[in-house]
Amino acid sequence: MRLILAATACVLAPASAFAVDYLTADQAAKLMFPEAERFEAREIRLESPQMQQLDAQGVRARSARWSVRVAQRGGVALGFVVVDEVIGKFELITYAVGIGLDGAVKQVEVLSYRESHGQEIRMPAWRKQFVGKTNTSPMRVGDDIANISGATLSCNHVSEGVKRVVAVVEIARKSGALP
Amino acid sequence: MNRSRLPAPALKFLIAADLALLMASAFAQTPEEELARKVDQLADELAKVKGQLKEMQEQRAATPTPIAPAPASAGAALASGPETAAATGPAEPATVLFSYGELNYNRPTRATENTQADLRRFVLGFQHRFDDKNKVVTELEVEHAVSSADDPGEVELEQAYAEHVLNPTWSARGGLFLIPAGLLNEKHEPTAYYGVERNFVETAIIPTTWREGGLQIVGSFDNGLTLQTGISTGFDLNKWDAASTEGAESPLGSVHQELALAKGHDLSVFGALNWRGIPGLQLGGSLFTGGATQGQLGVPDARVTLWDLHARWTPGRWDLAALYARGTISNTAELNTPLVGNTTLIPKSFDGWYMQAAYKLWTYEEYVLTPFVRWEQFNTARSFADLGQGLTPDPAKTERVVTLGANFQVSPGIVLKADVQRFRENEDANRVDLGLGWSF
Repeated sequence: MRLILAATACVLAPASAFAVDYLTADQAAKLMFPEAERFEAREIRLESPQMQQLDAQGVRARSARWSVRVAQRGGVALGFVVVDEVIGKFELITYAVGIGLDGAVKQVEVLSYRESHGQEIRMPAWRKQFVGKTNTSPMRVGDDIANISGATLSCNHVSEGVKRVVAVVEIARKSGALP
Repeated sequence: MNRSRLPAPALKFLIAADLALLMASAFAQTPEEELARKVDQLADELAKVKGQLKEMQEQRAATPTPIAPAPASAGAALASGPETAAATGPAEPATVLFSYGELNYNRPTRATENTQADLRRFVLGFQHRFDDKNKVVTELEVEHAVSSADDPGEVELEQAYAEHVLNPTWSARGGLFLIPAGLLNEKHEPTAYYGVERNFVETAIIPTTWREGGLQIVGSFDNGLTLQTGISTGFDLNKWDAASTEGAESPLGSVHQELALAKGHDLSVFGALNWRGIPGLQLGGSLFTGGATQGQLGVPDARVTLWDLHARWTPGRWDLAALYARGTISNTAELNTPLVGNTTLIPKSFDGWYMQAAYKLWTYEEYVLTPFVRWEQFNTARSFADLGQGLTPDPAKTERVVTLGANFQVSPGIVLKADVQRFRENEDANRVDLGLGWSF
C-alpha cells in the first residue's frame, strides 16, 4: 500500500496536473475517430449489480461514475472514447481508450506521463498491443501484453485500466446507457 | 477532483444561511403570495442541496479519499471520476512514501553451523514534488536490522537527489543517485529480481547498490531509447585493504565512497544507453570511468573503468536476461608494489556474466509462481599487472554458480523466494536460501 501524504497538498496545491502532457483529451478523441463530426459527452453511473458484475469478471470497478465521449457522425454513433487515470509507480498516468461499436479497442493514447522511468509505454509499439482486444481478452502483462523492462508497474496498471474501461463500456451498452 | 467538495459542516452552514435569508425576506414583505413563492423557492433549494449531499456521500462511499492509503499494486487512480479528473486536474499526491525490505535465510549445506537469518535491508524513501517540473527523491536504508557500535548493521542513504524536467525529452538530476549500470542497480527491489540473493555479477563486479554524487541528464526518446549521462564522484583506491579479503569479494564494492565525506579530487564520467523500442525487449550498455587515487600525495594516478552490456526479453510467460560486465584498474603494478606480501592485491581486471531464464508457471488471482534458473560466471581478479617473477599474484579462479529456485508472488508487492545455489569452485558455499521481500 502507498501512503499518500496529501492532506495539506490537496488544500494548498493548485489544481494543476504534475505532468508532461502530450495530448489533450479532445485531441486524443479526434485522433481516434477522425471521421467523427462531434463527440457527445455521456455520464454513466454504474449501479451496485453492475459493479458486482465487474467484480465477478475480475475487474476492479473503482468508480461508479464514468464519463464517455460518444463519437458521432450524421447522428450515428461510431464508437466511444474514455479518458482515465491510473497510478504508475508513484504518479498518475492519464490515458485515453477508443472503443469501436464491436466492443474492441481501437486505440490507446497516453495523454500524460509523470514517472521518471518507463516513458516507453507511450511508444506506438506498446500501445498497439491493445488494438482489437475485447472484454474477453486477458489484457494482462506477461500474457497477451508484453512488458517494458523497468516499467512493470506502469505496464500492469495501464493494462488493468484499459481492461476496466472496456468492461465498463460493455456493461453500459448492455444496460442501454450507451448506444 | 470532484465538484462537490464542501465538507458537511460547511454545507449545513450554507443551508442554515439560505433558510435565514429567505425567511427574513419573506417576513419583511408579508404578502401571502410572496411568502408562498419564497417557500416554494426554499423547497427547491433544499431539494437541490439534499441531492448534492447525497451525491457527495455516494462518491465518498464509492471511492477512497486522497488521504487514505491508495492501493498501489492495484493501480488504483485517485478519488475522482476519470473524466472529471482529466478535465479539472487531479489532486495528485505531492509527497509519496515508499519502502522495500527483505528478510533472508541462508543455510550452507556443507557447513550448517554458518546458517544465518537476516533482515538484510529495510528501506524507507519518499518522493516529493514541488511542482510539475521539480521533485526530490530520497531513500534511507538500514541493513542487518540493528546499527550500533556493537552490531553489524549500517544506516545509509541510498538516494538523495533533486530532479528537474527540462522538456518532455530531457530531465536533469543532481545529488546522490544510483549509477545507471546493468539491469539491477537502478531496479534493486526484491520484487524486481529472481532469487533470494542478488546475482553475483551485479554485486561482485558491478557493486550494486552503487550510487555516487553528481549531475546527470536523462533523455527519453520517442523511438524507445533512453540516454543517461553525467559526471560524478568515483572510487577511492586509497581505501583498498590488502590485508582483508573484501577486495577479492567485490573489488569496487571495497573502494566505493557512497558520498560519505567522499574524496572529490578525481571525478568520473558515466553514460548508459538502453533501447526498449520493441515491447518486451531491452538492450543496453553502460560505461563508467574516472580517476580513483584522488590526488593523494605519493600515490600514483590510477583509473577505474567499468562497462557492461545487457539484454532482457520477456516474450509471453518467459523472462530471459543476460549480462556481461568488465572492470579494469590502471597502473596497478605501481599501486601494488608496496602491498606485496598481503592477502589481496589490486586486480588489473575483473569480469563476469550471467544468463537467466524464468517462466511464469502458475497464476491464480494475484498469486504468481515463477521458477527460474541462473547460470553465472565471475572472476574478481581476472588478471594482475606484472610485478616480476614470484611477486605477481595468480589470477583468481573463475567461480561458476548455478541458482535454481522460484519466486512466489503473494501480491504484486510481496514476494516469497526459495532457491538452491551450487558453487563449482568454493563448494563449501553451496546453500539453500529462503526469503521474504516487499516493495511499494
